[in-house]
Amino acid sequence: MNGATNIVRRGTPDKWRFPTPFGWRTVLVAIVAMAILLRTGADVDIGRAIVQSGEGVAAGAGLVEDSQVARGFGAILGQMFPPQLAEVTETARIADFDPDRLPLFAHVETQVVTVQSLDPETMRMVARTTQREVLVEPLGYVVQVAAKLIETLEIALWGTLLAVLMGAPLAFFGARNLSPHWLLVTLSRAVVSLLRAVPELISALFFVLAYGFGPAAGVLALALHAAGFLGKFYAEDIENADRGPQEALRAIGANRLKLLRYAILPQVLPQYVAYTLYILDRNVRMATVIGLVGAGGIGLELKGRYDLYQYAHVGTILIAIYLLVLALDQLSSWFRRRWI
Amino acid sequence: MSLIFEKVGKRYPDGTIALTDISFEVPRGQFCVVLGRSGAGKSTLLKCVNGLAVPSEGRVSVDGVSVTPRTLAKLRPQVGMIHQSFNLVPRASVATNVIAGALPAVSTPRAILGLFPKALREKACALIAEVGLDEEHLTRRAAALSGGQQQRVGVARAFMLDPPYVLADEPVASLDPQTSIDILALLEREAKERGAAVLCSLHQIDLAMRFADRIVALRDGRLVFDGPPDALADGRIRHIYGSPRLETSISRQAVGA
Ligand SMILES: Nc1ncnc2c1ncn2[C@@H]1O[C@H](COP(=O)(O)OP(=O)(O)OP(=O)(O)O)[C@@H](O)[C@H]1O
Ligand SMILES: [Mg+2]
Repeated sequence: MNGATNIVRRGTPDKWRFPTPFGWRTVLVAIVAMAILLRTGADVDIGRAIVQSGEGVAAGAGLVEDSQVARGFGAILGQMFPPQLAEVTETARIADFDPDRLPLFAHVETQVVTVQSLDPETMRMVARTTQREVLVEPLGYVVQVAAKLIETLEIALWGTLLAVLMGAPLAFFGARNLSPHWLLVTLSRAVVSLLRAVPELISALFFVLAYGFGPAAGVLALALHAAGFLGKFYAEDIENADRGPQEALRAIGANRLKLLRYAILPQVLPQYVAYTLYILDRNVRMATVIGLVGAGGIGLELKGRYDLYQYAHVGTILIAIYLLVLALDQLSSWFRRRWI
Repeated sequence: MSLIFEKVGKRYPDGTIALTDISFEVPRGQFCVVLGRSGAGKSTLLKCVNGLAVPSEGRVSVDGVSVTPRTLAKLRPQVGMIHQSFNLVPRASVATNVIAGALPAVSTPRAILGLFPKALREKACALIAEVGLDEEHLTRRAAALSGGQQQRVGVARAFMLDPPYVLADEPVASLDPQTSIDILALLEREAKERGAAVLCSLHQIDLAMRFADRIVALRDGRLVFDGPPDALADGRIRHIYGSPRLETSISRQAVGA
C-alpha cells in the first residue's frame, strides 16, 4: 500500500500537539513506585541500615563517639590486619618431624605460651606458662591459600566449560528458527528455566550429598546454573540473528547445523564470547562461595577459619580472592579487545 | 530441460493473494527477466522455485521434478540464488561466504569443521577471480566490501555448485546504475558459460531490455506479459505498471472492503 496516499490531514501544523515528555500517566507511575518503595523499605529495615551506616561514617570521621557498625567492623578489621602469611605448626603434632630436614625457608622457634586452666583441686583458674617448639614456614599460609585459589579457579573453569557444552544444545533446540520441532522448543525452555531457577549454593548442597564433599560437586552445581543462563541467552541471539544469510543458505539446501555454523555463529560469536566471559567471572566468584557447603574451593577454608575466629587468616583469604577477581578482570578485558 | 510454472497460485496465510494462475516455462540457457511494480509478486514467484514459499495452487517443476517438500533437498542445490540485500554473512570472510555456496555438497561434520575438499576450495578461488575480486579479498570480511563487491561475492556463491538454474531477486536494486550493469553482465556471462537459465526480477525497464532474452511481467500477481524485450511497447509498460490514479482507487476499495 502506498503510504503517501493514506495520510489523513487534521488541522494545520500550528494546531498540532507536540508530544510532551511526561503526562499524568508518568505521575501516576511515580506515585505507585513511591508507595512500593516506602512499603518494601520498611520490610527490609532500610531505614536502620541507612542510619547506622551514617553513624558508622560519622564515627570514622571522629564526629561521634560511638557507633555499633564502626565497632563491629573495627573489631574484625583490627584482627584481620596484618593478614596471616606464615604457617605455624607445633612440631609435636607433626608426624616424623625431623629438625635436620626442614622444608624450604622454614625454621624452628620456641614459643612461650600462657595457658589458663582450671585447677581441679581448688576450682580456680590458674595461669601456667609452658614452652613449645613450633615450625614456622614464613609464607606457608600464603602457599596454602594459593593452592586453594587454584582449585577454585579450576572449579570455575570446568563449571564454565560444562555449561557451554550443555547450554549450546539447549540453545539449538530452544531457538524457534532452528529447532526441529516446537515441542523441543518448549521442553528446552522449560529445562533452561529450571536450571536458572536453582541457585548454585542450593544445588551444591544436594550435589555434596550425592557426590560427596569436594570440587566435583561444586563443578556440577556451577555448570548447571550457568548452562541455564547460557542456554537462554545463546538461544535469544540465534533467534535475533539476521535472517538474510540464513535464507540464502537454506535456499540452496543447507541443513540446520550448517545454517548454525555458517549463517548464525559468525553473527553471534562476539556476543557468545561476552556471555561466556561473564559466566566465567561469575563462576569464579561463586566458586569462592560454594566451599561454604563443602563443594570445594577456598570457601571451605574461609568458613573454617572464620568459625575458629582466626580473622588474620580470613584477611589473607579475602585479599587473595580480591586479587584473583582483579586478575580475571584484566584477562577478560584483554579477551574482549581481541574478540569483540 | 526447463523450469516450468503450471497454474501457480499463492495465497499467504494472512489472506494476501500474491500470485494467481501463473504458467510459463523457462528453458535452460535463457535469461528471463520478471518485471512488475512493488508488491506484484516477483519475490514470491522466485521463492516458489526453491521452496522458500510454497504455492497454494498449481505446481513448479525443475527438469521434470515437481517442487515438493520431499524433492526439495535434491532440487535446492540445483537452483542458485542471488538476493537483493546480498544476504552475505557480514562478519565472515569472502572465502567463507563463497564456499558456503557449496555446503549441500559437503557432509555435515566436515562442514562444521570447515574441512572443504580441495576441489571446492580451488573452485571458490576461481569464481572469486571470475567475478573480479583478488586474493587480498579472500580474508576480507564481507561487511568491509562495497555493495557492488558484495553482490559479486553473491554471484560467486550462487555458482559454486554449477546450478542449471539461478534465481536473482532484484540483484541490483541497491546498486548504482553503472555497477548494476556490471553485475548483470557478470551474471549473464557466468550463466551463459554454464548454459544455466536465469530467472531475474528487476524494476529497471532499461536493464531488462538490455539483458533479457525474454521478459515476463506481473501485475497484482497475474502474468500480464510474456515475450521478447522488443515486444514490450510503451502501452504495454503502462499496463504493467499502471497509472498512479488507478492504484489509489484500488487501494481505497481494498480499505473499504
Ligand atoms: N510472508 C508474507 N506474508 C504475507 N504476505 C506476504 C508475504 N510476503 C509477501 N507478501 C505479500 O504478497 C504480495 C507480493 O509480495 P512480493 O514480495 O512477492 O512482491 P514483489 O513483487 O517482490 O515486491 P517488491 O518489488 O517490493 O519486492 C505483497 O502484497 C506482499 O505484501
Ligand atoms: Mg521482492
